[in-house]
This record gives sequence, C-alpha cells and structure tokens, in this order.
Amino acid sequence: MTYKAFTLASAVAALLAGAPASAQQTVTWWDFLSGGDGVRMKALIDQFNSEHPDIQVQATTLEWGVPFYTKVRTSAAVGRGPDVMTYHLSRLPLGLAEEVLTPITAEDLDTAGLAEEDFFATALDAGKDAEGALYAIPFDIHAIVLYYNASYLEGSRFLDDEGKLTGIESLADFEEALALAAENGAESPVTYATGDDGGTYRVFYTLLAQQGGTLISDEGEILPGDSTEKAVRAVEIMTKWHQEGWQPEQALYEASVALFTSGKSAFQLNGVWEVPTMTDLEDAGDLGFDWGAVEIPQLMDQQVTWADSHGFAIPVQGDAPMDPEKREAVMTVIGWMEKNAIQWADAGHIPAYKPVAESEEFAAMQPNATYASLADRAAYDPRSEIAGVASPAYDVAINIISPAIHGYLSPEDAVEQMKAELQSRLR
Amino acid sequence: MAMIRNRSRHRLVALSLILPFAAIFALVFAYPVAEVVRMSFTDAPLIGGGDWVGWDNYARLLSDRLFYTSLKNNGYFVLLTVVPTTAIALAIALAVNRLSGRMQALALVLFFTPYVLPVSVVTQIWAWMLDFQFGVLQPVIEFFTGKPVPVFKNPNWVMPAVAVVTIWWTNGFNVLLFLAGLRNIPTELYEAAALDGATRRQLFGRITWPLLWPVTALVLTLQLILQLKIFDQVYLLSEGGPFNSSYVLLLMVYREAFQLNNGGYAAAVSLVLFLLIVVISILQFQILRIGGRKS
Repeated sequence: MTYKAFTLASAVAALLAGAPASAQQTVTWWDFLSGGDGVRMKALIDQFNSEHPDIQVQATTLEWGVPFYTKVRTSAAVGRGPDVMTYHLSRLPLGLAEEVLTPITAEDLDTAGLAEEDFFATALDAGKDAEGALYAIPFDIHAIVLYYNASYLEGSRFLDDEGKLTGIESLADFEEALALAAENGAESPVTYATGDDGGTYRVFYTLLAQQGGTLISDEGEILPGDSTEKAVRAVEIMTKWHQEGWQPEQALYEASVALFTSGKSAFQLNGVWEVPTMTDLEDAGDLGFDWGAVEIPQLMDQQVTWADSHGFAIPVQGDAPMDPEKREAVMTVIGWMEKNAIQWADAGHIPAYKPVAESEEFAAMQPNATYASLADRAAYDPRSEIAGVASPAYDVAINIISPAIHGYLSPEDAVEQMKAELQSRLR
Repeated sequence: MAMIRNRSRHRLVALSLILPFAAIFALVFAYPVAEVVRMSFTDAPLIGGGDWVGWDNYARLLSDRLFYTSLKNNGYFVLLTVVPTTAIALAIALAVNRLSGRMQALALVLFFTPYVLPVSVVTQIWAWMLDFQFGVLQPVIEFFTGKPVPVFKNPNWVMPAVAVVTIWWTNGFNVLLFLAGLRNIPTELYEAAALDGATRRQLFGRITWPLLWPVTALVLTLQLILQLKIFDQVYLLSEGGPFNSSYVLLLMVYREAFQLNNGGYAAAVSLVLFLLIVVISILQFQILRIGGRKS
C-alpha cells in the first residue's frame, strides 16, 4: 500500500466511524424569524430534534425581506438552497414567477398527516397558484389588530361592564373614541408606524379592503374602477387622523410601539406579533394599564383585515429532484410543526391549522382567541408579483402614502402617482 | 545579438509581471462587463439565461419615467456635492496647512476620522442626529424654520440632507489630497513673491491656485465619479422617497435586479450609468485640463 492510498483509506475509515449507525436525514431549514418569533421557532425546532433521532433540522436564520428572497432565488437555482424554508404567502406570486418553489402534492400532505380541509380557506388559498396547485403550507395567520388602552376610555360608552372594548361599529364611532382619548390626555390617540412602509401599508390596505376596493386585479390592473376613489378615501382618512393630531407624526416602527406600551396612546393598529411584548410587560408588572386586542372593527362597509401568513415551502434543488426520503423527512417536519403550532400561537399568531386553532388550549389563550375571528375574514395581499412583503407595494407606502398623509401631497394626487408607479413595475 | 536576446528577455519579464494583473482584471472586470453588456440585450432574470430581445430594454428605458427622475436626481446630487465638497476641502486644507507639528496631525485626524467609518455607521449617526422626534439637531433646524423637519421624509430636504452627510463623510480624503498638493509647492516661490510685496490674496491667486490646479482637477473628477455612483446613503436613509425625490440610478438597478428579478433591464440601466460616468468624467477632465492650461 502506498502512502497516498493509506492516508486515503484512513480518511474514509475516519469518516465512516463518525457517521451514525442508522441513516439519519438532515433537513436544512431557512427562516427569517427574529425577535420573539425567532426564539419560539428555535424552541420548536429543538423540541422536534429531540423527539426525532432520525431527522435533524439544521436551522439558519437569515435577514427578513428582500435579502431573504434574493438569497433563496439565487441558491435554489443552483441547488444550494435549503430543504425547507419559511415563506410569506403574500410573496408567493414572485416565488412562482421565479420558479423556485416545488408543488406540494396530496401524497406530500399524506406523509405529513395533513389534509387541505384542516386549514383556514383564506390562508390555504394564499398558498396556491392561480390554477389551485399548492406551493406553500400556511403555518399561521397574522393580521393587524386593534390594541386598546382601557384607561383612556373609562366611564365612556366604549367599555363594557367587564372593561372590554365595545361600541366601535363605524368610522364615526372610532373617531369619536379618538377624540375622547385626546381629551383624556392621550398624546397620540391611535399609533401605528406612520413613517414606515409596513405600518402605513397595512392600515391603508385594511381601509381599502373594508370598502371592497382592489389594489391590483388578477388581470394586473392597478386600482381598477371605483377602487381608485376608495383608495383616495383611505388616504383621506389617514390624512385626517394626522391633521387632527390623532396619530403620531413620522413614527418609525419602534417609536410607534413605544407610544402604546408607555401609555401615551389609547389605540394601536399593529400586527398580532406585538402581543408577546404586551403580555411580557404585563407579567413583569411594568405596563401600568389594562389592555386588550380585538379584530379591527368594521370602520367602512365590511369587516375585513389585512392579513398574511408564514408558510412552509420546499424550494427546487437546482435541476435535480429532491431525494424522496429527504422529502419525506421534510414533510414530517412540516406536519409536526403544524400540530405543535400552539407554541407558535404564543407569539400572537393564529394557527392556520384548524385542529390547533379550534382546540381548547387555544380558546384559553388571550387575547388571541378574541381576535381569532378575523381568520375567516382575512384580506390577503393581491396575487401579484409586485405585492406582498418587501415588494413595490410596500415601497409605494413609504414613498408616496406616508408623505401624503403628512400633508406633502393631496390624497387624489398621491393615489394617481401610486397607480402610475405600480403600473410601471408591472411588465 | 546579445542585445536582441536581452530585449526579448525584457519583454518576457515584463509580460510575466503584467500577467497576474491582466488575468485577475480579465476575470473580475472584463468578463463581468462583457456579461453585463450581453445580459442587457436579453430578458434574463437575476439567475439563469434569457432570450435575446435586442434593443428592447433600452427602448423601455427611454420611456421609463423613473429613469428620467433618477437621472435628474443623480444630476442634482452631483451639483449639491462635487463643487461644494472640493471647495470645503480646499478651505480646510489651507487652514490645516498653516498649523504645524502635532496640532496639524490632530486636525488631520479629526477631519479624516469620518472617512474611516463604514457607510452604515455614518448613516446611522446622522439618522439619529436628525431623528424627527429625538434628534439633537432638530432644535437647530427648529431655530431656523420654526418647526422640526423630518429631513429624510421631506421631498425638498432629502437630497440636500443626503449631500451634507456625504460631504461630511468623504471630505477627509479630499483634504489629504489638497494638503499633499500644497506641500508640493516650493516655499521659495512664496518667499520670492513676499519679497516683491505680494499680498495674501495675490499669493493665493498667483501661486497656490495655479500650482494646485492639477490636484483640484483630480479631486473634482474623483468626486464626480464617486457622486454619480450614489447608492448606499440613499438606500439607508430614504429608500428613494418621498415621491421618488431621492431615487437614483443605482437604486433603480438594485430594485430591478434584486426585488423585481429583471436582470436584463437592470443590466441595461447599469450599463447606461457606466457609459454616463465614463463620458462625463473624460469630458470633465479634459475641460479642466484646458482650463488649467489657460490660467
């Protein structure tokens, strides 16, 4: 035996000795979850790994937004992507256009022990392409909700006997409550991230959707028909809140949350993901007021709320198909996650998997159970490549809507500019 | 015979010394540039090939409103930065040049420190200082305008504000160039002129300015190239808004390529920007040289 062959043989032997006896599947997992979401997801993954000696999930957390989706696209194209990843369902149209996602078949769902009927229809639809093929399995539904600080409403008609928010059934009611809160000394009666893309977009989209307006039609028309007037109306409402001094000026996300947690705002329009912030503060005794969170009331013609979902998707592996055993392992991971989604609900989200969302355990979870009613009335982002998280639609919010509601442009001109801007991004 | 051999040997040595650079240059510059040119004639996404579409991307560019907006903003930004930063750097260099020893070193360090900082740190510092709710500079702004101004969210303020940040950040390097230029001017010239009774103004106008002109021309050209490439500060401070008033060409390239997956179109935009920079900077340098010769 030559020296070379000897070293080679010993290297192989060392490798074999290091490998476990049974064939173990390693599932590469990518997500974009940070903060409280990230902590909870890591706990879930650790628990999965300890319960499944034959499958090990190796998770990496990447930066949220454009960087995440760019990385997925580039790595999946050359087969260096993850085996499974979290995906915003609102960003699914871009993923489909880029052809980076693989369809999830009925057999896949069987492997995971899931069925389509187990999911909220609104969320499941958002995970499908235009032809109805499933590309991402929804994990949760997260929407904006109305947080309230009861101390500004005491003694008014807006609190019931138990101190819960009540009596907001129209825009007039809500604005009456805002005026009352201002009278009672609220610095910003309603807070949301008026100087950021997400905060502005979600409120705008909810107001538009509550009037039955469409941002982008399936045919690719921006604000078709009377949706333009409805969009103007939405911007007018937000502008009015600014002019009345009811909402903070140019508030960035953190500042907008701080206004509410520090008790300077009576209401907050923000995502369910801030629920843990509130419960943590309350548990630590640092909050100093009674709060609650409810589904966004019907302010306009119908009660719907902007919503999105985190889902699980399986990217393409370059040109090669995924090893069937690996795919089985991936589906096992997804199935397990769905069935243990109650821990994820702890982060404020509503589980998209009904057996969990309708469980007694979830019903006991507050305030999640209170606003869970929104799941059936969720208004997802338009099915378009230029809509969804970190998309041109979000850019328009920071570029046009946010400055417009601060008085730099009239609502009519802002909406016109918005239409032109979005139209130019559509090929 | 021996001479000929020596010459060919010379050539071999020269070639072998040039080769590593030429190879790396070809690999990381020439090849990608050729690819960008090819890509700009296709409808390629960010990854993978596309179909040949001829001049379509360029035709689309000419009818893209955002392209003209970006072009205008690039021009505006160049106006706001290139000459001001050169003038400020010259003034600082003249002042620093009059200090000596440790004081000069200290002054140089102070002016050069911002240049060492990464752009993200620079923008973070200024975003905090100019923060609408808590910024330490807001009282100053309030003193002049009567109310606090969200500078990066106001269509009129955003570009000048980004220009101020950029000048503060990059000025140290220009000061250094000017200082080196000033030190190259022989002191005898000043002494002789002083003996002839030249005033300070004459010393500057007849000696410093003309002898410093090559450096000034260099600084102006370097600045022009640098400022046409504006991206980071805008991306980090204003994201192109409000109302696209800080949208610039490189931001357009970034959005088209990475957000919208239009590789071919992004390649066309970046190629236009590249040609623009080449043409403008050559033109400018030539004009400055001619101007320098006349004076």
